[in-house]
Amino acid sequence: MADTQKTAIVTVAKLPKSSDWAVTINRNCTLDPYDRRNSMKIIHTVWLGVLAVAAGSAWAQSAAPTDAQIAAIVVTANQVDIDAGRLATSMSQAKDVKEFAQRMITDHGGVNKTATELVQKLHVTPESNATSESLQQGGDQNLAALMKLKDGAFDRAYIDHEVAYHQSVIEALDKTLIPGARNEELKALLVKVRPAFVAHLEHAKQLQASLGKRGE
Amino acid sequence: MIAFSRIGRRQLMTWVCGVVLVGVLIAGGAFSMLSDANAAPGTYVVTIENMRFSPDALTVQRGDRVVWINKDLFPHTATADTKAFDSRSIEPSASWSYVARKRGEYAYGCALHPTMKARLTVR
Repeated sequence: MADTQKTAIVTVAKLPKSSDWAVTINRNCTLDPYDRRNSMKIIHTVWLGVLAVAAGSAWAQSAAPTDAQIAAIVVTANQVDIDAGRLATSMSQAKDVKEFAQRMITDHGGVNKTATELVQKLHVTPESNATSESLQQGGDQNLAALMKLKDGAFDRAYIDHEVAYHQSVIEALDKTLIPGARNEELKALLVKVRPAFVAHLEHAKQLQASLGKRGE
Repeated sequence: MIAFSRIGRRQLMTWVCGVVLVGVLIAGGAFSMLSDANAAPGTYVVTIENMRFSPDALTVQRGDRVVWINKDLFPHTATADTKAFDSRSIEPSASWSYVARKRGEYAYGCALHPTMKARLTVR
């Protein structure tokens, strides 16, 4: 594993507002998707890193993200998962994995539709920022890694990633996005979508357990 | 004057008794109508929001109508485990109505989101 991954340690000394949590991020650049024991932990750390680095560094001087930045993060976070879902519906051979992927496309699409309508109504233009860009980059890396896989290996890597991704987004919602949102309607939308991320996480974990049994 | 007043009082008493009797009759009629309304099929609403059915346990009488309203941002279903009823996809802000005709205990959930579970009892 050590040979296949390049590890950069980023230490965020002081985070704004809601946090005094110093974070050390292992940012894994070349992920070996075959090593399942470590990959789960690494994927989660990467996503957590993506969300935490930006939360910490990008806004170190200007405190919490602005609503425009939060809007961009929300839209990108959903879009990244829609893209992964699209790949999985075409690549996976397993009915339950394909159904889960379709669910991600539909549900995150529904959230993005509402989020887009809200920002238009509020006259907020989503503002690209370090977190949204990192999310996009992480999503692209995930797609590139998944495209090299097929069958059971693809399913496991996709679902492992979904578990880690949803965990990270829930954490970001709780620590950065919900506390940071200034507009009440934007905050309410974030609160409203949280249970969907939690349910998706549980669904992904169920599939992960089921795929694990199939693999043995 | 006194005699007139006595007659007046008697008339008044009769009138009051009449009014009370009519009142009782009206109230009785209204009550019986109310009882009929209770016996007639009712409509119950189950809200689907935040990835949950609310209430998550509902008891109705046979013939009652249950309406599921989806207040989430994406589709859900109300699908009995036994498939005794199945709404199929209920779009956001849409609803699905079902008349519960057969007695029983029905565990149901959203076919799209396996974590969403609830129960409908038909008496």
